[in-house]
Amino acid sequence: MFRIVMQHTHGKARWSFFLAPIIMLGEVFCDLQQPTLMSQIIDQGLAKGDLTFVIQHALLMLMFAILGLSFGGTCGALGSYASLKMGESLRSHMLEIALKNRQPNGLAPATLITRITNDVTQMQNLVMMVTRGLVRAPMLLLGGVVMSIIVCPDLAPILLIIMPFLVVFLLIIVRKSIPKYTQMQQSVDRVNQVMRENLQGAKTIKAYVLENHQLQQFSEQNQQLQNNSQIAAMVTVILSPVIQLMLNLGVVIALAYGGSLAISHTISDGQIIAFVNYMIQITSAMIMTVNIITAFSRAITSATRVQAVLDEAKSEQQVTTVDMRPSNDQIDFENVSFGYQTSKPILDNISFHVKSGQWLGIIGATGSGKSSLINLLTRQYDQYSGQIKLGGIDIQKMSLATVHQEIAVALQDSLLFSGTIKSNLTYGAIKATDVELNQATKVTQAFTFIDRLSKKYLAPVEQAGKNFSGGQRQRLNLARAIVPDSNILVLDDATSAVDQATNAQIKKNLQKLRHNKTTLIISQRVTNVMNCDEIIVLEDGKLTAQGTHAELLQKSNFYRDLIQTQLGDVDFDA
Amino acid sequence: MRRRVPRNIHREKVSLTNWKKTIFRVGSYLKDYRSKLMLVFTFTIVTTLTTVIGNRINGIVIDKYISQNKLHILLIVCALLATMYVIASIFTYFQNSVTIKVAQAVSTKIRQDVFSNLQRLPMKYFDTHNNGDVMSRLTNDVDNINTALMQTFVQLFTGVISVIGMGLAMIILSPLLTGVTLLSTVATYLFSKAIAKLTQKAFVNQQNRLGELNTQIEESVSGKQLVQLFNHTDSTMSEFNKVNRQYTKAAYKAQALSSVIGPFNNMTNNVAYVLITAIGAVSIIGHYGNITVGVIFTFLIYLRNFTGPINNVLDLINTLQLSLASAERVFELIDESQEKDNPEAISLKKAQGHIIFDHVSFAYDKRMILNDINLVADPGEVVALVGPTGAGKTTIMNLLTNLYPLKKGHVLLDGHDMTKIRRADLRKNVAIVQQESFLFTMSIRENIRLGRPDASNSDVERAAIEANADTFIRQLPDGYDTLLSENASQLSQGQRQLLSIARAFITEAPVLILDEATASIDSQTEADVQKAMANLMKNKTSFVIAHRLSTIQKANQILVIKYGQVIEQGNHQSLLNKNGFYAKLYNSQFD
Repeated sequence: MFRIVMQHTHGKARWSFFLAPIIMLGEVFCDLQQPTLMSQIIDQGLAKGDLTFVIQHALLMLMFAILGLSFGGTCGALGSYASLKMGESLRSHMLEIALKNRQPNGLAPATLITRITNDVTQMQNLVMMVTRGLVRAPMLLLGGVVMSIIVCPDLAPILLIIMPFLVVFLLIIVRKSIPKYTQMQQSVDRVNQVMRENLQGAKTIKAYVLENHQLQQFSEQNQQLQNNSQIAAMVTVILSPVIQLMLNLGVVIALAYGGSLAISHTISDGQIIAFVNYMIQITSAMIMTVNIITAFSRAITSATRVQAVLDEAKSEQQVTTVDMRPSNDQIDFENVSFGYQTSKPILDNISFHVKSGQWLGIIGATGSGKSSLINLLTRQYDQYSGQIKLGGIDIQKMSLATVHQEIAVALQDSLLFSGTIKSNLTYGAIKATDVELNQATKVTQAFTFIDRLSKKYLAPVEQAGKNFSGGQRQRLNLARAIVPDSNILVLDDATSAVDQATNAQIKKNLQKLRHNKTTLIISQRVTNVMNCDEIIVLEDGKLTAQGTHAELLQKSNFYRDLIQTQLGDVDFDA
Repeated sequence: MRRRVPRNIHREKVSLTNWKKTIFRVGSYLKDYRSKLMLVFTFTIVTTLTTVIGNRINGIVIDKYISQNKLHILLIVCALLATMYVIASIFTYFQNSVTIKVAQAVSTKIRQDVFSNLQRLPMKYFDTHNNGDVMSRLTNDVDNINTALMQTFVQLFTGVISVIGMGLAMIILSPLLTGVTLLSTVATYLFSKAIAKLTQKAFVNQQNRLGELNTQIEESVSGKQLVQLFNHTDSTMSEFNKVNRQYTKAAYKAQALSSVIGPFNNMTNNVAYVLITAIGAVSIIGHYGNITVGVIFTFLIYLRNFTGPINNVLDLINTLQLSLASAERVFELIDESQEKDNPEAISLKKAQGHIIFDHVSFAYDKRMILNDINLVADPGEVVALVGPTGAGKTTIMNLLTNLYPLKKGHVLLDGHDMTKIRRADLRKNVAIVQQESFLFTMSIRENIRLGRPDASNSDVERAAIEANADTFIRQLPDGYDTLLSENASQLSQGQRQLLSIARAFITEAPVLILDEATASIDSQTEADVQKAMANLMKNKTSFVIAHRLSTIQKANQILVIKYGQVIEQGNHQSLLNKNGFYAKLYNSQFD
């Protein structure tokens, strides 16, 4: 955890990180002066009736109080500066890793997001707390002990008896409570899960009349939660009465023992009072320490999760420095295989050639490797064997930017960014004019519904495009890929949510627009690839057939079966 | 020494519509624990007063016994004090454990009440309410009530008692020193209020920036592939860094300012400490009033215990208001009216499966969704619904299970108006396979069994065999006992669909609804699913909604629906001959 902090605090932030605890020492020092000065006032000022002494010392105490405030304030400001700067740098670094990572088995988006948001905030808070508390609590504790020994060495044995007992007791409770609280948290998660499922599956529950069944499930988990939280609470509930008792007993012993010493004139009233005050300080410092320990154990989980993201950067391969540009847009796959080390290959020795201006259809079941093919072509992953060429040049010898300029892709998952329709459509071609946008949206049948919106292209798009229907999103998504007018267009199941009639119209428009331009169409639907110049069939990562629609009807069983299930008893010769 | 509720920097303004009623209602949950709570209150009073008195005795000890060399009495008093403290701590322990137990029992009960009502709310509630909002009522708001009962309330009570007790003791001892203590308390309060006002804007600003920041992270990470494909990595990063910097700036402003509060409180305490010592000392020397060393000592200890509670009381009142607002939100959910059966509703155990839609119209809010739908389906018939997305096909299916009330017309099952059949009976007679059927985080066996809870293991397996799901289930490491993860993410879409078909099978319901059951399934599994569905439809009145016309061709009747109206009706051949919308739709797939 310290390493993460070090790597993400630079310049002023790092100075602040180290300076804050040192300044905190100042505040602690000031705080510790008070009881001693006070005892001097009582013992020397009061006893001798020396008013000037009293006032002098009071002013000294006042000075220490104000000095303490300025130390404390500075420490707080420095601490928040250091922690916020660390958070800023950490977030930026993690996001960059997340965006640039091209590992096939990296962390899932959902967990990445919580790591960059929540976990970083957790760490930020911890650093803030550490710069203040990690020094303040133990120092106050230590200083309190030292000062009380200095001020009245005779009473020190009381501390030596009570302190170790308290420390051991606190540690035992903390240790015992952590697993109980984990258990409670698990119960909370389970209850939440049942509730969440019930909201998401409300329709299913009603349709199958499962209300009572679910209620029973919930009751069990709910009861379990009650039991577990009680167990956890019962472990820690003993803390505060015991600490209170120790403190109070300490005071009483100090009074009794100290009193008997005072009677025999070995120590003074002021010393007893100072000692009791130090004891109060020590106890509150101890409680602070316990809080910090708990916070620390929670933040360590966050730190490990953050570290896992940072580690992803290490496995990133060096990106090549050469940047060759393809002179035409033919595509070659030469003996390409791809897969994770352990499981069977996702793509197995794939070779094919796409001529410039050709339309290629790629068909196969889910998991047959269709999308992986595109991921490799667009260099989402580089860990494959064999060669992929664009215009005769190995894509590894091009920069990522060149590859992505060459190829525009419309993915099945039609994610839109928050902004406007325009900001989304021009995502691949910032300078596109409204005329160009009109053309693209007419092709994808999105023009009409955009035209009906009062703000047209400037209509707002909410996060993930929530304010548009699935079909509308897909048509915008498709238009976004068309706007840059790239040499190669790839459609990865990009019309799955569009209804039959619209789909047919889009297909027609595309054929006109992309006539004689290299276009790759991936689909599970035969009708979408039927008219391509060439179709390849993928089964379990292997290319099992290649040819035109008519040729595949002859030679591919898989293709024939597909036609059968999808089109019913259609007369093939029609 | 109790756990302190973190100081709420923005004393949030809460509007309560009827706080008296809400308090009363929370109180009604506490009824069963009346005697326990009385005990807690008594204990609290005893322990608080013990602290107040104990602290005073400490001072007396110094003045009377130590200064006057009465060792015997000193030891006796100390022994008494010690006993008193031990008893007080035991009381505190019991008081805390009882409160925690009561609070947890109450929040468990409240959670139970909310959930059981939620179960029986009409479908419309779930459509119109955000899951996040409902979840937050079930979790955060119930937690707030729990905290209020467990900590806030008791703390407030102790706070008030100690403030009164100590206040009285202090005034009697020395009005002058009491004034000093109060002054520091007021200063602390005013200062933190002033800072809160100053930082309020900064905090709001920070919160807004944080929202922006998180949205950007969420968007760019989940759209990572697009960001890469469209060469936007660098521009995304520079945009993000801008927002990131703005957030840090806003947060620094807010935090640096508010981080002064802690040290400032520390300082005012120290100043009060000085003042008490100094003023005390000066008046002893000058013989003003009746202040003694013991009095100074008592005050120094009171100071630590006084400023805390008084400030706490103010914060706690605010927290309590927030909790009341939470309670109000929770009760709102408990009071939401349930789906109720018609009092004359009849019981219908096993229907024939004869369905009539008689001039059915349906509106959602004021939007007309379905208009004058008529349909007769005999037992065993297959009815297909075709039409563009949003035409109202799914709505027809929802009406068949009485999930929503009709605007006009009647839906009849075996000649009985649906609104006059007990809902549970009606729904048990209809099995549904949705486009994305919901599977629960339990074993595969239990998920299938949900269709008919009294089904035996062999019934479950038979249903799975009929649904073509048996093979893949047996290939899983734990077979039928495989525990599904949330949203059954370890299964493919097709496998999930096979499970929901198995679940429909086991119901043995005479009426079946297949709502786009194959829309998002890949072609290979689709063949399996289609076979399974064909099995399932045997001898059942089936309603099928599908994108793919191949599924529909064999239906006895086809209803073509557009803009909530039936525009064509007939079988495949007759509709093709008609050469209308259906024919156009059918032919479009071959273009």
